[in-house]
Amino acid sequence: MTAADPSVPTLPMLRCAGCGHLDTPAHTVCRACLSADLRPVGIPATGRIVSFTTIRRAPSRFRDQAPYHVAVVDLDAGPRVTGRLAATSPAPALGARVRALRPGPADLLFTIRDDS
Amino acid sequence: MRDVCIVGIGSTRFGRHAGTPIEQLAAQAGAEALRDSGIDRGRIGALYLGNFISGPLNGKEILAGIVGDQLGLPNIPCTKVEGACASGGIAFRHAWMAIASGECDAAMAVGAETMTHAAGAQVTAALNCAMDNEDDAPSGLTFPGLFGLAWRIHAQRYGTTRAQVSAVVRKNKAYGLRNPLAQMGADLTDADIATSAAICDPLQLFDCCPTSDGAAAVVLAARPLLAELRSVPVDILASVQTRGAARIAGHPDLCSFDATVSAAQRAYAMAGIAPADVDVVELHDCFSIAEVIDSEDLGLVPRGQGAVWAAEGRTAVDGQVAINPSGGLLAKGHPVGATGIGQIYEIVRQLRGTHPNQVPGAEIGMTHNLGGTGVACTVSLLRRAA
Repeated sequence: MTAADPSVPTLPMLRCAGCGHLDTPAHTVCRACLSADLRPVGIPATGRIVSFTTIRRAPSRFRDQAPYHVAVVDLDAGPRVTGRLAATSPAPALGARVRALRPGPADLLFTIRDDS
Repeated sequence: MRDVCIVGIGSTRFGRHAGTPIEQLAAQAGAEALRDSGIDRGRIGALYLGNFISGPLNGKEILAGIVGDQLGLPNIPCTKVEGACASGGIAFRHAWMAIASGECDAAMAVGAETMTHAAGAQVTAALNCAMDNEDDAPSGLTFPGLFGLAWRIHAQRYGTTRAQVSAVVRKNKAYGLRNPLAQMGADLTDADIATSAAICDPLQLFDCCPTSDGAAAVVLAARPLLAELRSVPVDILASVQTRGAARIAGHPDLCSFDATVSAAQRAYAMAGIAPADVDVVELHDCFSIAEVIDSEDLGLVPRGQGAVWAAEGRTAVDGQVAINPSGGLLAKGHPVGATGIGQIYEIVRQLRGTHPNQVPGAEIGMTHNLGGTGVACTVSLLRRAA
């Protein structure tokens, strides 16, 4: 599968018009060059699991979903993000390929890809 | 910079102090430290207080001024500092700087927190204020979860086993049994630990520090003041504070905290000593795997060997480097803002030779206090005064 795959949603990110640094949307200033000229871009929501854990004692807003997996994912396009795995996802493993099920990054939800 | 000594220490028991307001706990510890030092209160030129969540849990801010008032201190600057779980260590460093810079000749650092009166969900929500709530918290991650991420990598990369990590828990819980200030000492088997409640894989309940109330305080003075004081002084060789990544995604390696690595390197350089010179360490074992990673980040144990060293007894009181003979956060407890000052208290007792789990002949001690998801760190090096 490639970035052009229509089954893979894009994740909204910000690209700095000054230096090209790609980062999550929770910014108004580029941490690399301090430019305030950050442009919304979509990047392919695919990546690889760096690590994961299974949350069994959850914060109150997630309690009805526990237990659930949280994974740190290195996106193929560069940024590292923290997201939850969908309840329907196959079991995670270190290095497993994932794709996002819905556009994040707030409440980013991943699933393990079949081609892991 | 002037030479600064620790001349007085005080601490409440860590655990439950139902019904005692936070400022009164802080005043109890502060009064004990002042009495221990023998200093005239009028000589104290600054007070720094470490606290994290008295706002959300108690509806109380301006704690530094309230504690200064309760202790009858002069009209000196009383300042609260906050760096999540590193708040106490930061307060200590500021008190040290106030004297080292010449701004005053004596100062106090106090740490205090009360947590056990609050409902579990309220405590969790308050603690999660120490996480990046834009990028990290929306995932449903928790603080134990952060260390679950780290543990998995440690296990894969270095072959670290459940039993090796359990050795950290058994050691600290056993030391807690013999420390009268400790909240939750216990004599545990590997099976007790492995079958305790699952919190977030691979962490079980006994891998996690408890929720605690408590306060600790120290009095610092410039070396020339020592002639007036009756206590056995401890020299501050170094006190360093660093920033690490504010977001989990900002850590290049989830199995190491760069704030700890850089704080330790700067502290060793400032003190002019090597890691092998350190006899006893109180480090930030909020979770069992945290002690493993911290001991490696501090350069005390070879990378990847933290759990192996614990399992081999090399981090015991009679080992190569004694780690957390107080029982650590795991057994002594973790009243968040008090923890960093409590660590100083424990090391001073070691260097005075009066600790309930005494490291024989301890001359140089270290404290390590880590806040948030590794965003704030303090490392201090102390030496028994000649």
